[in-house]
Amino acid sequence: MSVYRSPGFDFSNSTRNNFLLNKGVPLPKATSTGTTIVGCVFKDGIVLGADTRATEGPIVADKNCEKIHFITEGIRCCGAGTAADTEFTTALISSNMELHALQSGRKPRVVTAMTMLKQTLFRYQGHIGAALVLGGVDPTGPQLFTIHPHGSTDKLPYVTMGSGSLAAMAVFESKWSANMERQEALDLVILAISAGIFNDLGSGSNVDACIITADGTEMLRNVDMPNQRVQKERDYKFRRGTTAWTKEDVRKFVVEETVTSTDEMDTS
Amino acid sequence: MADMVSIPHSQPQQHQFNPYTENGGTILAIAGADFSVIAGDTRQSEGYSIQTRYAPKVFRLTDKAVLAVNGFAADGNMFVKKVRQRLEWYRHAHAKDMPIRAIARLIQTMLYSRRFFPYYVYNILGGIEEDGTGAVYSFDPVGSYEREACRAAGAAQSLVQPFLDNQIYFKNQTPAPGTSFPGHLSLSTVLSLVIDSFTSATERHIEVGDGLEMYIVLAKNSPSIQSLRDIRGMSELTATEDGERVFVVRRDLKKD
Amino acid sequence: MDHIDFNRLKTGEVNLGTSIMAVQFQNGVVIGADSRTTTGSYIANRVTDKLTHVHDRIYCCRSGSAADTQAVADAVHYQLQMYTQMSGGPPPVHTAAALFQRICYENKDGLSAGIIVAGWDKEAGPSVYNIPLGGGLFRQPWAIGGSGSTYVYGYCDATYKEGWGRDETVDFVKNTLALAMSRDGSSGGVIRMCVITEEGVERLFVPGNELPKFWEGAEVLGHAKKINQAEGLAPMVVEA
Repeated sequence: MSVYRSPGFDFSNSTRNNFLLNKGVPLPKATSTGTTIVGCVFKDGIVLGADTRATEGPIVADKNCEKIHFITEGIRCCGAGTAADTEFTTALISSNMELHALQSGRKPRVVTAMTMLKQTLFRYQGHIGAALVLGGVDPTGPQLFTIHPHGSTDKLPYVTMGSGSLAAMAVFESKWSANMERQEALDLVILAISAGIFNDLGSGSNVDACIITADGTEMLRNVDMPNQRVQKERDYKFRRGTTAWTKEDVRKFVVEETVTSTDEMDTS
Repeated sequence: MADMVSIPHSQPQQHQFNPYTENGGTILAIAGADFSVIAGDTRQSEGYSIQTRYAPKVFRLTDKAVLAVNGFAADGNMFVKKVRQRLEWYRHAHAKDMPIRAIARLIQTMLYSRRFFPYYVYNILGGIEEDGTGAVYSFDPVGSYEREACRAAGAAQSLVQPFLDNQIYFKNQTPAPGTSFPGHLSLSTVLSLVIDSFTSATERHIEVGDGLEMYIVLAKNSPSIQSLRDIRGMSELTATEDGERVFVVRRDLKKD
Repeated sequence: MDHIDFNRLKTGEVNLGTSIMAVQFQNGVVIGADSRTTTGSYIANRVTDKLTHVHDRIYCCRSGSAADTQAVADAVHYQLQMYTQMSGGPPPVHTAAALFQRICYENKDGLSAGIIVAGWDKEAGPSVYNIPLGGGLFRQPWAIGGSGSTYVYGYCDATYKEGWGRDETVDFVKNTLALAMSRDGSSGGVIRMCVITEEGVERLFVPGNELPKFWEGAEVLGHAKKINQAEGLAPMVVEA
C-alpha cells in the first residue's frame, strides 16, 4: 500500500465488516446516544446547556463528560449522538473556522460554522451521527441553531436536542420568555437540563452551562451537581497478597555499568 | 418524501404484536446462616422513560418466604398474584404456611406450565427453610431452579453478580496465611453489601435507581435481630406470633 | 428492483410533513406553507419557514426531507448568484426552476424533495413551477404539495378562478392551507405566506389561533339540544 492516503474516512475495512456482520458478529457499540443539550437566547447573548452522562447501551460510560465543545472564542457547540462523531466534527469545524478567520481577517460568524457543519453532515448522509446545538455571538448579534445528523438546520430562540430533548423542551415551552436577564436565562437552562437528567434515562449526573455575550464567553463547568455520590457502607480495600499467583519472577531493570579506562583516542 | 405518492412496497411487510416489554431494574438475594435478605430497586422503566419511581419488585408471601420478580412488570405482578392465590389455597387446605422448599417447587411447575408462552420474569425466592437455615432459590423464566447462597438478576446482574461472587463466596481472593474465610456472613455485613451493590449499580446502570427495598427474613429466635436495632428506615411486617419474622428497610437511591 | 422506493426517509431523519402552495395572479404570485417540522411524532420545529429565498423575486416552497431540500435550495441559491454575476441581470423564474429540476432529477435515487418554485420575472411575469418527487418540471397556474395537499385537491379545483387579484389569491391560499392543516397530522402550526410582485416581496403571517375556521362538528355535537328543539328532531332510539 502506498504511504500516501486519500483524505477523509478510511473505508478499507467495510467489506470485511459487512462479511462479519452477515456471519453474525455484531458491530462494536459506540458511546452515547442519550443526552440532553439545550440552547436559549436572552437579552444580550446565548446560554448553552448540557448534561454530563455518556452511555454505552444501558451502561454509564462516563459520569462527568464534557458535551459543550469549543468552536471559536465566541461560538460554542453542544453535541448529542455518537460521542466520537460530535467530538471530531466540532474539532474539524473549529479548526476550519480558525483558518477562515485568519484568511478573511474578520471575526468568525455563527452562520459560517453552521454552514460548514450542515454541509459536512449532509455529505455523509446521516452516517455521522452528530446532533448539535450551535450558539454564539458574532458581529450580527446572538445566534442559535440546531443541526440534525442528516444536515438540516433550524434557527429558533430556544432549542433542545438528544434523548432528553422532550423533557427539556417541555420546560422551555412553559417558562421561556423573550428578553430574559442573564441569571434568569441561566436558571431556565439549568431547569431544562435537570428535567432531562431526572426524567430521561439517557441523561444524568451534572449540569454544564456556557454563557456567551458580546463581552466574552463564560464556561460554567458543573454549575449544578444534583447527583453527588453517596458514601459506601463498606471499605473495599484488599489485603496485600489477596491475588493468587502461579509464578514469581523478579528482574532488575537498573543497568550496572563499570567504567574502565583505556588508552586515550588519538585525536591528532 | 413518504407522504406524497403511494406506491406499493416491493416486499410484503410483516408486523407482529410483541406481548413482552423489558422494564429494567435489578433484584438480589443473599442467604445467611439463620436469615435471608431479598432486595430490589423500585424504578420501573421502558426504553429511556421512567414509568414510575416506586413499583415494588419484592413481595412478602408468608412469614418465611419473600419473592422478588424482575423482567416484564405486568407478568411479574400477575405471577406474584397467582403464587399468592395458590399459597392461600394451601393455607385453607392444611392450616399452615407452605414451606419454602415447597413454594420453590410450586413456582417451578407454575413457570413450566407456560413453557411456550412464558412469564417473562426472573424470580428469586428468599426465606427460611424448615430446619431454620436461610435459603435463596433462583429461577429462570421457564422454571429451572436451584438453591444458592446468593443471586442477582435483572438489568444490572452482570454488574452485581461478580461483586457478590467476590464478596460472599470470596472468589479470586486468597485468605491471609494461617486464616480462612468465614463460612457465613453476619446480617450487618450482608445488609451493607446489599446497599453498596445497589448504590454502585445505580451509578453505572441507567435502569437502576430511585429507591431500594430490602426484605429481611429472620429464623425463629434468631440472634441476628441485634444487627437490625439501629438500621435506619426499618419496619416489621410479621403476621404470626412466635415464628419467623419479616422486616423491610426502604432507602433512597439516586434519581438520575 | 422494479421501481424507485419513495418511502426512503431514513429513520430519525427530519421530515417536512407539510402543506405547501403557490398560486399566480395578475401581478405576481402568492406562496404559502404551514410551519411544522417533524421527527417521527415529535414536532422538532413548530414555526419553520418553508418559504425559502433563492433570489430577489424567486422563492421556493420545500416539502420532503428537511436536510435534502435545504441542501438543494442552498445549491440553487449559489448557482443563481453566479448566474446574476455572469449575465448581469436577475434570472428568469424558469431558469431557477430548471436548476432545481436538474438536481432533483439527476439525484432522484438519493433525494426526497418535492419543491414548488414561484416568482416574478420581466420576461414571463408571474409564474409557478411544480417539481414533484421524480424530478419532473411542470408550469401550473396553481400548485399544491406535501402530505397535506392530498386533502385539498378537490377544494382547489372547485374554488380556483382565473383573473383574481392579490387579496382574493391570498385568501385562497390561506383557506386551502388551513383546510389541509386541519386534516393532515404532519402539517400544522402557523401559516406563512409571501406575495411576490415586481415591486417586491411582502411577507404575511397567520398565527395558529387566527387560522380561518371551517366546519368542525361543534354545531352538531355542542348544540345538539338546540337543533333538536328547533327542528323538532328526536334523538335516536337506543335499546335499553
